[in-house]
Amino acid sequence: MKMKRLVSVLLAGVMVLSLVGCGSTEAPAAAEPAPAETTAAEAAPAETADAATGDAITLDMWCIATESDSNRGSYEKAIADMQAAYPNITFNWEAFENESYKTKIKAAVSADELPDIFFTWSCAFLGDFVKAGKVYCLDDEYQNWKDELPEVMLGNTTYDGKHYGVPTTMNIVGLFANMDLLKEVGYDEVPGTYEDFIACCDALKAKGIIPFGCAGKETWCVTEYLESVIEKSVGADELNDIFLGRATWNNEGVGNAVDTFQELVTNGYFDPAGIGLTNDEVKANFMAGKYAFYMNGTWNCADFAADEEFYQKVKVSEFPVIDSSKAKLGQLIGGPSDTLAVAASSPNAEAAAAYAMELGKLICHYGYLDGCGLPAWTPYGDTSQVNGLTQAVADICANADTYVLFGDTAMPADEAQTYLSYVDQVYGCQIDGAGFIEGLANDIR
Amino acid sequence: MAENNTLKKSKNRKELWKGISIFLFLLPALLLFVSVLIAPIAVSVYRSLQDWNGFSPGTFIGFSNYKELFTNGSIKFMVGLKNSLIVAFFSVFVQLPLSLLLALLLGRKIKGSRFFLSVFFMPVLISTVVIGQLWLKIYNPDYGLINRALDALNLSAWKHVWVGEVGYALVAVLIPTIWQFVGYHMLLMYAGVKGVSPDLREAAMLDGATNWQVDKYVVIPIIKPIIKVSVIFAVTGSLKTYDLVRIITNGGPFQTTEVPSTLLENMLFLRNRYGMGSTISVMLIILCFAFALLIGAAFKEKED
Repeated sequence: MKMKRLVSVLLAGVMVLSLVGCGSTEAPAAAEPAPAETTAAEAAPAETADAATGDAITLDMWCIATESDSNRGSYEKAIADMQAAYPNITFNWEAFENESYKTKIKAAVSADELPDIFFTWSCAFLGDFVKAGKVYCLDDEYQNWKDELPEVMLGNTTYDGKHYGVPTTMNIVGLFANMDLLKEVGYDEVPGTYEDFIACCDALKAKGIIPFGCAGKETWCVTEYLESVIEKSVGADELNDIFLGRATWNNEGVGNAVDTFQELVTNGYFDPAGIGLTNDEVKANFMAGKYAFYMNGTWNCADFAADEEFYQKVKVSEFPVIDSSKAKLGQLIGGPSDTLAVAASSPNAEAAAAYAMELGKLICHYGYLDGCGLPAWTPYGDTSQVNGLTQAVADICANADTYVLFGDTAMPADEAQTYLSYVDQVYGCQIDGAGFIEGLANDIR
Repeated sequence: MAENNTLKKSKNRKELWKGISIFLFLLPALLLFVSVLIAPIAVSVYRSLQDWNGFSPGTFIGFSNYKELFTNGSIKFMVGLKNSLIVAFFSVFVQLPLSLLLALLLGRKIKGSRFFLSVFFMPVLISTVVIGQLWLKIYNPDYGLINRALDALNLSAWKHVWVGEVGYALVAVLIPTIWQFVGYHMLLMYAGVKGVSPDLREAAMLDGATNWQVDKYVVIPIIKPIIKVSVIFAVTGSLKTYDLVRIITNGGPFQTTEVPSTLLENMLFLRNRYGMGSTISVMLIILCFAFALLIGAAFKEKED
């Protein structure tokens, strides 16, 4: 009997020990979420040294260029070039899905477990990390690249006068038009003035063609329209001041612009079904010829150009000026947002900074050639193969006067969500311009 | 006397060994329970008392988050709570009666009952994401089954953007939610119905009771504990609703279909308000416990 009890106690002890044992081996695996994809250049000679001196070091990078991401190709080509140029650096990179990456990167910052180089969005997103002292300052390294990277492109990653990010591609909001549908109502070009634009919308509506498609289920799509209307009504500087926290939302001009946008909705220019659709569905409808116009990011150029039949019909242009006393052509919504940054905790921060700069330049180069965005860096090499739509966007940007970054990127996360909630209500005509500015002035500033 | 003492000591030692054995056998489960349930709840409570963005050090702010949850209209917690209670109401008063009805019918040994059992249970086996996508296609304003059917019936005036209009969006979420879990509750109740002794049924029948009278006066009172469990599952499940809302409406239009879980996600991952997110999770835990206790008490009162 005693023996039985002894054996049972021993067995229980073994069970407990095995559980503890399992726990200790499994803990690190649980702490590190499984990477979507991992590419290792070569087996790791993990000594630390400087990239320029040619000593062997290891650098790790996280990004969002997954297999399904349009930037995947440009990352792969750029990394292949870097690996060929720096065989002494073992470069490991992992790509994660966009939304889960936002959670992962915040957790890594919190736990001081950032990789040497990491993808981030500019302005407020990176700003929070900079404020927490987790990002390496790139001022010294930038001196080696300032001839190829215009300082104006660093505005969204500059905090207290210091540079913390390497921009890759940049994008703006474009007014995409289905020229076949416009021709049906007698327009060979996208109307250049707001009055003509409205007349065109009326003509389209009279012909039974829906002028605009907009995904109400994804509020950022509504901001592509609303922010363009506000910018072309009150001017880029006023909007920039509001987005960047330098001015109050209680701005009568903004209220009137919101009313102007709402008129477009109440006049029936928008597809009423759009409120229940996602951006992918609206984009598919536009490509299928359901809408005449589609305002969205110029990252769509690559997809539109890839569809040979649709590519012949589509044109991209700038949203017309509404109030020429305050706004003008060349004031655009967008700018460089996709960014590489270096962790302050990296044991090879200096080498990582040099590597990130050159890698960013190559990603930008290949991304531009693929039509995924415009170059934040000065383009080089043969760019004649870039698709016509992206080239048209490049022409628009060549004449750019001011860029206003997308509102939800420019503002801190909490404010951005409040802003999106009000945009949603404007699109659904739950509030008017006065309600919009009053509400945002109360809830944000 | 000495013999008595020896006996006592031996008995005490036996008791001690018994206690140690029980403790050691329970220890793994206890450790697991504490680490995956108690510890996260404790951390959530701790974080709910802080203003914390997830990566900077948090600031202790007492019960400010709890106060803000009920006073700041832009957080929409009350909207979320109201929607959860609506889902709970329909789950209890539409889904469960339907499940009970099906369980009672199938419990009468009707022909093909096994086939129907499988068919009704099938939605439980399908991934919620698949169900959400399936219903999204049904609701699609352009090519969806409902609007196409209305077109075919010359009822185009009745067409709507089902997931985009304030008046229909919550209903659009409710229907698949109820549909998905009817089979689950039906199976629970069916097991109870099958457990009712045939002797009782036969005795009631011999006394001239109809099928419905047997169900009403014999079967239902016997399976009351199972009905109670179903009600608790339905109510707490409704409070925790997330996946179908996330897929079908994503809280829209204009945040009218938000539920506490979607707000929780919004606070944590979109607004970087980890402190407030923890507050919502603590509130959810409290509400689930409170409702489970209330339901338990209500059933107990009836039994008494």
